[in-house]
Amino acid sequence: MLKPLMFLFGAVALIALPHGLSFSQQEILVFLVINILLVTSYRLLTLTGEWSLGHVVIMGVGAYASALLTKELGVAVPVAMFLGGITSALLAVLLSFPLFRMKGFYFLIGSFAAGEIIRLIWKRFREPFGGVRGISGIDPMPDFSLGFYSFDFFEPVSYYYFAGVIVLACLWVLWRIEKSPVGLTFHAVHWQDKLAQASGVNLRAYRTLAFAIASGFAGIAGALQAHYVGTVNPNSFDIEVMVFVLTWAIVGGTTTFYGPILGCVLLTVINEIVLRGMGFEQARPLIYGAIMILSILFLPNGLESIVQKFLPRRSTAKSDRKAEA
Amino acid sequence: MLSKYIASGFTRRTFLKTSAAATAALGLPKMALAAGEPIKIGFLAPLTGAVAAWGKPGLDGCEIWAERVNAAGGITLADGAHPVEFVSYDNEYDPAKARTGATKLIREDGVSFIMMLGGDTWPGVQPVAERTGMLFSTLLPSDLSPDSKTLLAPAEVHPIYNVTGVEWLAQNKPELKTAVMCAQDDALGLPSVATYLAAFEAAGIEMLDEPLLFDPATTDFAPVVTRLLAKNPDIICLDTCYSDYVHPIAEQLFQQNFGGQIISCTADFYDQMIAKTSKEFMEGFIFQFPDFDDPALNAETVNFEDPNGFYAEYNKRHPGQWGAVSWEYASIMDLWKAAAEKAGSADPEAVITAMQDGPGKHAFGDAEWWGEELFGINNALVGDWPVVAIENGKAVIKEFRSIPDWYSRHGDLLIKHMQAYGQMWDQRS
Repeated sequence: MLKPLMFLFGAVALIALPHGLSFSQQEILVFLVINILLVTSYRLLTLTGEWSLGHVVIMGVGAYASALLTKELGVAVPVAMFLGGITSALLAVLLSFPLFRMKGFYFLIGSFAAGEIIRLIWKRFREPFGGVRGISGIDPMPDFSLGFYSFDFFEPVSYYYFAGVIVLACLWVLWRIEKSPVGLTFHAVHWQDKLAQASGVNLRAYRTLAFAIASGFAGIAGALQAHYVGTVNPNSFDIEVMVFVLTWAIVGGTTTFYGPILGCVLLTVINEIVLRGMGFEQARPLIYGAIMILSILFLPNGLESIVQKFLPRRSTAKSDRKAEA
Repeated sequence: MLSKYIASGFTRRTFLKTSAAATAALGLPKMALAAGEPIKIGFLAPLTGAVAAWGKPGLDGCEIWAERVNAAGGITLADGAHPVEFVSYDNEYDPAKARTGATKLIREDGVSFIMMLGGDTWPGVQPVAERTGMLFSTLLPSDLSPDSKTLLAPAEVHPIYNVTGVEWLAQNKPELKTAVMCAQDDALGLPSVATYLAAFEAAGIEMLDEPLLFDPATTDFAPVVTRLLAKNPDIICLDTCYSDYVHPIAEQLFQQNFGGQIISCTADFYDQMIAKTSKEFMEGFIFQFPDFDDPALNAETVNFEDPNGFYAEYNKRHPGQWGAVSWEYASIMDLWKAAAEKAGSADPEAVITAMQDGPGKHAFGDAEWWGEELFGINNALVGDWPVVAIENGKAVIKEFRSIPDWYSRHGDLLIKHMQAYGQMWDQRS
């Protein structure tokens, strides 16, 4: 009984959330929702023990693919978004052939190089990628009405609901994957690779699978962003943005599903709302950096470790009460 | 029951939201100001990050401009005088953050006009401009297109004015016959490359190699400079490189013993470059942005009020921070103030009509609204532009030259190179 009520409360809170925010905070909320999908998809890749520096570029692949499909071929926006995700996943499969000849640090550097090659291709070929200026005038999601609510996708609230539903669906799929035997095998590939291999697990195939799934969802995140902002360019997917994704994952922690989400939400709120609101607009990089250093020093296991500390205590208290009864 | 509640809630909310949005979109910019109420001006530019040098000094200049205007009684509209104040938003040169910033400035802060650097950030803001009818300015006319009727480029026609530096060089140093060029491969670098190529061709200066385009993430410029010097050119052109590139490239040129001519769009914080190289090495460095203590700016044709006093005040508050854009946003505000006072209103539509009613008072002299051939719309203010050289460690204006005159003689070359680099307005996606 408690669980459905909690879900209901959560759903109502998420629906009501944008109405308590200012216009600019609603805009930030849209990008936050998209970034949650990005960082959660990144975590799926890290389950196999590999950290990539090309994830944001892969997100860009989805954004470019979806933008081009709508602009050049007239594909409907929602279909193009899905196909953007598929394109990212297929490209990841292609990239996996050279990249998974490497492991650990070498994979990290290799993924960075692969990402830079993709970005250089976008810059080099004005047709069809628009060169350094990228693609602008990307079709927005077409407005529609559900009778009780009219979606005007220029408005951040409408796009938040649209993106929110897609992101929640994607998170659910990612959650199910992690909890499935495939997800458990991803963990085994990371922590017990020799044992897993001895048990007949094809390590490379599972690494490729994790890379492709993570990339597919990153591609959907990119497509969601492209059709909201209306423009994509190579600089929007550079290493600087990747550093933000890494920071969210590291500060939040990656041992739990919610760790990177916590990192993304908290750091975005601090950076985009709190520091700007306090008038520290130009000092943000300095303060943001200080917060990161402090959190790594004092919270080496990430923000999720705080939640983990709280959760067992609550369950212990519950069992104590049961025992007393 | 629940769906009924949600449905009714949403309908009411939708109504309120739509009303609020409509008010914000249509009403706020046109809203009459109460007597004495400040006129708010939005400043939407990079204030942090690699491109901050073309945002932050401009905001500092605007603050000085606002103090001067407010001390003189403010801006006089039909309903009386109003003080002016700036509201800034750091867009980090990111289109998504620029969109958020534009939304905040228009819908929350109620600004009457927004100044931007432009470039990569404009496409993110364009839908907001179209929806709200807000008046925007950019420093980069390559953002202009017939789709954006409320976007103006009133301060500079980057990169077209770069032709004046090359033309001056060809006339005053005819012994310089060959050149090479490097630029960052981005929306600022490429149109500038096309412009310099046209200017060199018009001046009869031979390009020894294709322009060397480097990635904006480049930090090691030794190989870039080595490749530039391999052709033994008379002139090295640094295009419109950001100051983060101009400085290390100049340092490398010094270390690799280049003794020829350097020409660049900007030389922000050139005193630091001199400190890293030498006064002798930097002697004769040509660029396009003067220090405002230059006596040439006291000419009657110059429309910027008290440039020497402005420069002195700027340097007092921000020593060593004077750059290419320190005065530009302030000069845009001069034009906006004149137009608002002429219209008697801060309403964007009234201001743009008043502003484009006849020649404009550009900082460096009277100028025409121009640009249809290159940008598809006459929303760029074009006139004379200074050629600046470093002499004895100090920037000196050598001459003012007319951009329209050059264009009337060599416009076909500019269009040819712009087309080759896909920079014409109808080639931009």
